[in-house]
Amino acid sequence: MIERKERKPYWRHTKWQMLASLVPFLAVIIVLPLYADRLNANKFLGFPLGYFLALHGLVLIAVITVASFVNRQDAIDHWHGAHEDS
Amino acid sequence: MTFSHRAGYVNPRLGTYFGIFISAFAAIGLLSLIFEGLGAPRSALQLAMLLGPLVLYVAIGLAAFTREPLDYFASGRRVPAFYTGLVISQTAMGATGLVGITGALFLIGFDALCLVIGGLAGFVLMAVLLAPFFRKFGAFTLPTYLGRRFDSVALRLTAGGLLAVPMLLMLAAELQMGAYAASWLFDQSRGASLLLLVLAILLTLGAGGMRSLSYSSAAQCIASLLALLVPVSIVAVVLTNLPLPQLTSGTVLRLVGRGEAAQGLPIILPPALAFDMPGEGLSAIGKRYSDAFGSVGPVAFVIVMMSTLAGVASAPWLLPRVAATPGVYEARKSLGWATLLFGIVMMTAASVAIFMRDYLMDIVTVPGQVRFPDWLEVLKDLGVLSIVNDANGRPTLSGFSVERDAVLFSLPIAAELPAAALYLTAGGIIAAALATAGSLTNALGNVLAEDVVFGLSWLPEQPAQRLLVSRFTLGVAAAVGGAIAYIAPTDPLNLMFWALSLTAAASFPVLVLSIWWKRLNAFGALAGMATGFGLTVLTIIAGEAGWTGVDSALAGAIGLPAAFVAAMSVTIATPAPGRHVLELVRDIRVPGGEILYDREMRFLRRQKNQRS
Repeated sequence: MIERKERKPYWRHTKWQMLASLVPFLAVIIVLPLYADRLNANKFLGFPLGYFLALHGLVLIAVITVASFVNRQDAIDHWHGAHEDS
Repeated sequence: MTFSHRAGYVNPRLGTYFGIFISAFAAIGLLSLIFEGLGAPRSALQLAMLLGPLVLYVAIGLAAFTREPLDYFASGRRVPAFYTGLVISQTAMGATGLVGITGALFLIGFDALCLVIGGLAGFVLMAVLLAPFFRKFGAFTLPTYLGRRFDSVALRLTAGGLLAVPMLLMLAAELQMGAYAASWLFDQSRGASLLLLVLAILLTLGAGGMRSLSYSSAAQCIASLLALLVPVSIVAVVLTNLPLPQLTSGTVLRLVGRGEAAQGLPIILPPALAFDMPGEGLSAIGKRYSDAFGSVGPVAFVIVMMSTLAGVASAPWLLPRVAATPGVYEARKSLGWATLLFGIVMMTAASVAIFMRDYLMDIVTVPGQVRFPDWLEVLKDLGVLSIVNDANGRPTLSGFSVERDAVLFSLPIAAELPAAALYLTAGGIIAAALATAGSLTNALGNVLAEDVVFGLSWLPEQPAQRLLVSRFTLGVAAAVGGAIAYIAPTDPLNLMFWALSLTAAASFPVLVLSIWWKRLNAFGALAGMATGFGLTVLTIIAGEAGWTGVDSALAGAIGLPAAFVAAMSVTIATPAPGRHVLELVRDIRVPGGEILYDREMRFLRRQKNQRS
């Protein structure tokens, strides 16, 4: 069980983790499709690069974002003693 | 017996059970292949592919019968992360998403990615912003969570009423798409197909509610995944020698791109707010596959992406799933699985689109006399494809018109696979439709029972009465959804856009703020939900009537930010929430400790006992 005085630092830590997970991800998903046409001049595995990044690349980025978030947030939970008892 | 709420509660035989299901499903597929080779009548094979899996789903649902409210509403909180993620990935947009996005990718290529990226990002936002906290709170429905979090019965009832609308729209879309997929297997009227689907859902869910739903829809999602991946992988082996369509379709796309340039397919620069998603019926191939922004303008692309993202992240039919995971850690992890599996499904859908374009391209790029293959005649006879020749009497790529929803079903025909492959695809789409429609029926039925019928009292009724009412409202939800699907013959993809925009505007802002801004009070939440919902409905109506000149799918652009602004400004203008509520928010934010819904109910029961 988390100690009372740990709650504030825990939540501050969690908020920074949230921003670190979401800000780069949202920036990429909004900006990348807008430049896809210019990237399409290059090819990768036969795919036009802009299309490849907008589909395969974003899937990869999304999976990595969630995986790293789960891992980091779990570490934060344990650091502050906020984790569930197993 | 005291026990911790986490590990050790997952059924260790779950893998075996689903292994048996996969074997049985594969056996149905292989047997229909064998009997097709032996010359069995087609109608028998179709019926086997339609009813065989249905029997399995219903059997799983009935086997999960329960009398316990915790099992009925949250599956005993023992569904592992992988199965939760699998089901979330397939039921976020469901069969409508799968069939509609495949068709849209085929017809407008890159521009349909706004839905794919929106769905992916929705899972990421759900994992980071909402799912762990909703699991910690442990409420069975979204309105219960909101009502308890703000300690307001008015908010609970309003949320129940408002969120029922997008759920009904999505339910109608799913049932329509399921009936469409059934029409490839089942020579009966649309009404009969809808009735069959509704009955299957009721039989599956009636016995165990969420418990039946968790395991039967996991089976349905495995079936739909297999039915999508297997035929496409076979086509990939035929075309590219490797069973990895997601990656090897690149070499095919290169040929398609060259052909499109040779055919002189135009490069279009649409207005920023253009949103020309192909609708029902035949649509022409008007645009090069990998060019960005031909049918959808860049601003519209971002808007649809954002409203899909917010709609998926806060979907009232997905969040209750998260409450059924064994713990907060598993709730986060399940969204990781959902992201991965959704990505794989969407990359496969894109390769279906590329392969179909390639098959058509092969016809039109042949030098000399054009000869139409047999499968093209089959598709023409089915009425899902038409050809207009150009001035020289030759067919061109832009002369082909294809029905959007038929693209996924056309691939096995175009690849000249045995008919069993087509039946397998149709069976998979029916499975996806059943899983999603089941999720919606269950969520809607629980909202009606818990938040509308018993909405005025916080203390839950006696288990027997509670489950009886929930089973009754489950039937009501399914019947109303079926009736709407029958009488409103609107494009299912459009219904899905509306449902996602409405959810995005009505629930996403309030849900996110309810966790990340503890000052938010009941007035702000009410104002946010009502503003978001009302403005989105008005924008949809205005878009459909053509008053604004902007497509109704973009309705989230106004409702979503307006709901944020309304919730925050009304909150600041009204008094801060009380101590109890603030303490509750602080507890929601910490994963460890008791499930808050259980704790609240215990407090209430103790208060009531002291009074009496």
